[in-house]
Amino acid sequence: MKYASLFWILGALHLGISEKPSESVLAEESKMKKILFLSLLVSTTLLLPGAAPSQDWTPVKEAFRNIRSVKADFFQKRFLQILTKPLLSEGKLFYNTPDSLRWEYLSPLRSVMLQKGSIIQVYNFSEGAWKPEMTQAVEARRMVLAEISQWFQGRFEESKAFKQAYSAGPPARVILFPGEGIKKFIQRIEIVLSARPGVIDRVEIEEPGGSRTLIEFKNVEINSGFPSEVFEKP
Amino acid sequence: MIRRKSLGICLLGFLILSAGCVSISKTTLSPGSPEDLPRCYTIFPAEPWESVYKLEATLRGGSFSLLGVTKGEPSERRLQSLLLTPEGFILFDAELRENEIDVRKAVAPFDSLAFAKGLMENVSFLSLPPRVKPTGWEKKTDGTMICNWEGPDDSDTEIKGSMESGWRILRRDKYREVIKEAVLNGPFVNGVASHVELRASEPAPYTLRMTLVQPSP
Repeated sequence: MKYASLFWILGALHLGISEKPSESVLAEESKMKKILFLSLLVSTTLLLPGAAPSQDWTPVKEAFRNIRSVKADFFQKRFLQILTKPLLSEGKLFYNTPDSLRWEYLSPLRSVMLQKGSIIQVYNFSEGAWKPEMTQAVEARRMVLAEISQWFQGRFEESKAFKQAYSAGPPARVILFPGEGIKKFIQRIEIVLSARPGVIDRVEIEEPGGSRTLIEFKNVEINSGFPSEVFEKP
Repeated sequence: MIRRKSLGICLLGFLILSAGCVSISKTTLSPGSPEDLPRCYTIFPAEPWESVYKLEATLRGGSFSLLGVTKGEPSERRLQSLLLTPEGFILFDAELRENEIDVRKAVAPFDSLAFAKGLMENVSFLSLPPRVKPTGWEKKTDGTMICNWEGPDDSDTEIKGSMESGWRILRRDKYREVIKEAVLNGPFVNGVASHVELRASEPAPYTLRMTLVQPSP
C-alpha cells in the first residue's frame, strides 16, 4: 500500500494526467475516467495472470478478525530514477473500523488526510497553519482511503481496482495486480503481513520504468484506543 | 469549461504569489582581475548534482506545499525537475536540455506550457550560469563578489555575495527593471543552497520559498 502511490494512479486518473501539456483537459479527464471505469470492469471479470499463490483467504480473514483500531508510525522510501538516494518521508496513521482513517506525513512536508465515514478532508501545513488542500485530488483520495480501509480489515480480496493473490509465506503476503487502466502507472503492489495477527509490516509499490515506493510500519498498536477527533481535525 | 477555467486560475494562482520585486539599482562594472573571474561561478554547481527542496508558495486564497526534485548536469546544461505531492505523487516532470523543454508528465493545474517554461526558467536561473563571459566583475574588500553578465536581448544578470554571507541573483530586463531576484543562503551542501527565496515579476509577481531537505548524493 504505497497508500500514497495509489494517489498517483487513482489521483492521476482522476485528475487527468497528460504526457504533454494539453489544452483539452476536460476531454482528457473524461477519457481517463472511462479508462478507469473500464479497468475496474476488466479487473473484476478477468482471471489474475500469474497468480499462482493460494487463493484461500481464510488465514488472512482470521488474522484481521479482531482488529478494531490500528495506530502506527510509517517510514516511506520513494525510489525515483532521478535521485541516487531515495526520498525519505515519515508519518503516523490511525485507523478505526470500519472507515475512519488518519494518514499524516510529518516530514519532509506536513500533510494529513482525514477520513471519517464518507467525509474526506486533506490539509497541508504551511506558514505555521493547517490549510485545506487546493487541488482536486480529494475524490481520488476517497477511493484510496476506501482501499486502505479494506486492507486494515484484511479485506484485500474485495478490491475492485486490483486483482489479488495471497501467499502464505512466511512471511505471508498479498500481491495486488492493477487492471489495464491503472497498470500504466502501477505495476504491482506487495503487502507483507507480520507474524503478529492483523499487522501489516510493509508495502512495496512498483511502477513501470523502475521507480518504486517502500512503506514500512513500526510501533504498531492494535486496539489501543484513541480519541475520535484524530479523524476530524488536522 | 468552468472547471477548466478554475484550473487555469489555480495555475495562475501558483504564479501570483505574495510579493513583487523591489527595484534595485544596477552596479556598473568593468572587467576585474582575471584571478577573481572564477569566483563569479562559485554560486553555480560545477559537478552533477541532485536536490530535494520543500517548496512553499502562498497564493491568493490558499497555499501550496510541494516537494521539488531537481537533477543537474552542468556540463551539458541539462536539468530535470519534478514536483511531487507529500505522498510522492508526481505532478510535473520535465527536462531542460540547452533551450529545449521536454515535459514528460504534467497534472492539472501544472499542465500548461507557460507553467513548464516558467518553472524550468527558474531552475535554470538558480543553477546555471549565463552562457557568456561576465562583462564586469569586482571583488570587494570584505570578500564578496559582484559579477555582471549582459544577455543577448539587452537583459542582464547580476550576482552578488559569497558562500559565507549568501548570494543574491538579479535579472533585469532591457528597461533595467528587476524581473527576477533570488536570495540564496547557506549552509551550502555540495554547492547547493539550504534556503532560497525567489521573487519574480513576470508574468505576475510571485514569491517562492525553498528549503533544502535532501542534498546531493
